[in-house]
Amino acid sequence: MVDVLGQLAGGFGAALSPMNLLMAALGALLGTLVGVLPGLGPTAAIAILFPLTTVLPPVPAIIMLAGIYYGAMYGGSTTAILLNIPGEVASVPTCLDGYPMAQQGRGGIALGIAAIGSFFAGTLGVVGLTFFAPFLADQALRFGPPEYFGLMVLAFTVVAGLSGGSLVKGLSMAVLGYFISLIGLGPSTAEPRFAFGWAPLMSGVDLIALVVGLFAISEVFLGLEEQRVAIATTIRSVFPRLADLRQAAPAILRGTGIGFLLGLLPGCAPGVTVFLAYDVEKKISRHPERFGKGAIEGVASPEAANNATSSAGFIPLMALGIPASPPLAVLLGGLLVYGLQPGPLLFQKNPDFVWTVIASLYIGNLVLLILNLPLIGMWVWLTRIPYGILGPTILLLAFLGAYSVRNSMFDVAVSLVFGVVGYFLRKYQWPLAPLLLAYILGPLLEKYMIQSLSMSGGSGMIFLQRGMSLALLVAAGILLVTSLVLVRYTSRRVKQETAEEMAL
Amino acid sequence: MHAAGAGQGKVVGGILVLLGILALVEGVRLHALRTEMVAGAVVGDDTFPLIVGVALLLLGGAAVLVRLPSAKVTIPRGPVRARMLWGLALLAIYWLIVPSVGYTGSTALVSVGLFRTMGGYRWPRSLLLGALTTGLLYLLFRVWLLQPLPTGWLGY
Repeated sequence: MVDVLGQLAGGFGAALSPMNLLMAALGALLGTLVGVLPGLGPTAAIAILFPLTTVLPPVPAIIMLAGIYYGAMYGGSTTAILLNIPGEVASVPTCLDGYPMAQQGRGGIALGIAAIGSFFAGTLGVVGLTFFAPFLADQALRFGPPEYFGLMVLAFTVVAGLSGGSLVKGLSMAVLGYFISLIGLGPSTAEPRFAFGWAPLMSGVDLIALVVGLFAISEVFLGLEEQRVAIATTIRSVFPRLADLRQAAPAILRGTGIGFLLGLLPGCAPGVTVFLAYDVEKKISRHPERFGKGAIEGVASPEAANNATSSAGFIPLMALGIPASPPLAVLLGGLLVYGLQPGPLLFQKNPDFVWTVIASLYIGNLVLLILNLPLIGMWVWLTRIPYGILGPTILLLAFLGAYSVRNSMFDVAVSLVFGVVGYFLRKYQWPLAPLLLAYILGPLLEKYMIQSLSMSGGSGMIFLQRGMSLALLVAAGILLVTSLVLVRYTSRRVKQETAEEMAL
Repeated sequence: MHAAGAGQGKVVGGILVLLGILALVEGVRLHALRTEMVAGAVVGDDTFPLIVGVALLLLGGAAVLVRLPSAKVTIPRGPVRARMLWGLALLAIYWLIVPSVGYTGSTALVSVGLFRTMGGYRWPRSLLLGALTTGLLYLLFRVWLLQPLPTGWLGY
């Protein structure tokens, strides 16, 4: 405990340096800026802004990325409340009561409650990260290749949670992601795979080019097709009255509890917990008939659950290297770009980095609250920018972003191709998150499997003979079943509320 | 608007099966290479392509045969489709001309085109927006991020 606090203090020392503080604020600002653009969720926001961080050293870059993540999450709730447009499925419940509140002229209060709930839940999630992640990482230090393989299999249970209601679609996308990750040099002999003698393919498909194509370029075309238009909204005050706070506080607490505890499970995305939090709140309310008509608890609880799950998701991400949601998968990719492999060894090899990032998460949450409440007028103004300006600007940014990472026109071509592929996949509701997750985790699964099988002389029994490895595989099975049950529940709820199917 | 169920499954399933065959062919090539290069090794660079190949074949088959949840899909038509195709075409042109025309010139040309076709603005406004965007992106990528962008024949 004392050790953790000491390391956290050291982290704060570094995170409070002017450069890191600036990056946390800039990340929160940029993330909110992109997040408030109608239809752009946190994954697309991180994908678009990711290339801007690549010129920075690892610590400020990851701090900025985390700020972008938090900012985009909050920005998503702004469009959900003011425009009834959920950037991602996690914002759907916020629309249910947030938009009616905005129609009643209480949009500012809904935004204020969302900001306060997000801050509270986000901070509590980071407290959990501070104390729980090092413990988890410490346990995982005893892992050998078979245990890591079990861990990677556990991570793949996330695919079920991200499948958007069809396991065949989710698994197909995951294996496709795997296939893409195989392109390049083989890990054992450095023999080119799937390159067919063409030099650009030998260095593989770049993560940023893939993400920019799948999540940013495809998003612009979907937005163009939906003919998104700006809507005029006026905001009076974003500071809730004491009575509002009193009404929302228990809902924030319950949403935080549900979001945090379920967020610890790999495979439980915010899309799942927000609906659970909303339904619990409605069920225990003395006036359930107010829900859907502008109940403040209907905004407070899912917003708190969303941020608690997002923050809790950092625990399996940092301690075990398992991302629980698409934006965290992109963040994991960001860490890998900097040569930092999240997992137990990260705490051993790069403690300064880990604790600086954790400290910056506290700061990022606070910065977000400080910035967002006074700047809400500016965010509202941004939602009025016509899509005819936004679309081309995002495309140009995406093009240059894909180029700038490796200064490669091949990467730009890759992002354009995946932009088109992503557009059709999203249109026909083939989930992209499993593809991304498998692309990122695939090489690790391959590495640990090959190491394990080399140890055992080719016998797969090695995974069942070692206690921890077996336990992880059993846990993966249990989590898979739990995820499927939760996904079925959430898919049904999303369909009820939006008459659509959405990837979680 | 139409419900797409079996159709999308057949298309994606077919692509997955083709990729599966490709993975198996590559896996067999790598297997032969491994047995030749690393005597005695039981696993290697061929192992995962073979596993992924089999998985792609199975899932491709499942996507074709299993009834997938139907999705209501609207195929864009008329001016919307034209705007989307123009956007895509301009990006492809951008990709083609950046190395020769250079970053600044090609960005100016393409951004004006994008605002004109995708945004539907008149020429004067498209020119203004294009010039503004080119300037801002130049500041961001060239001045702030110090990115080495292609200079082309024009030298900038």
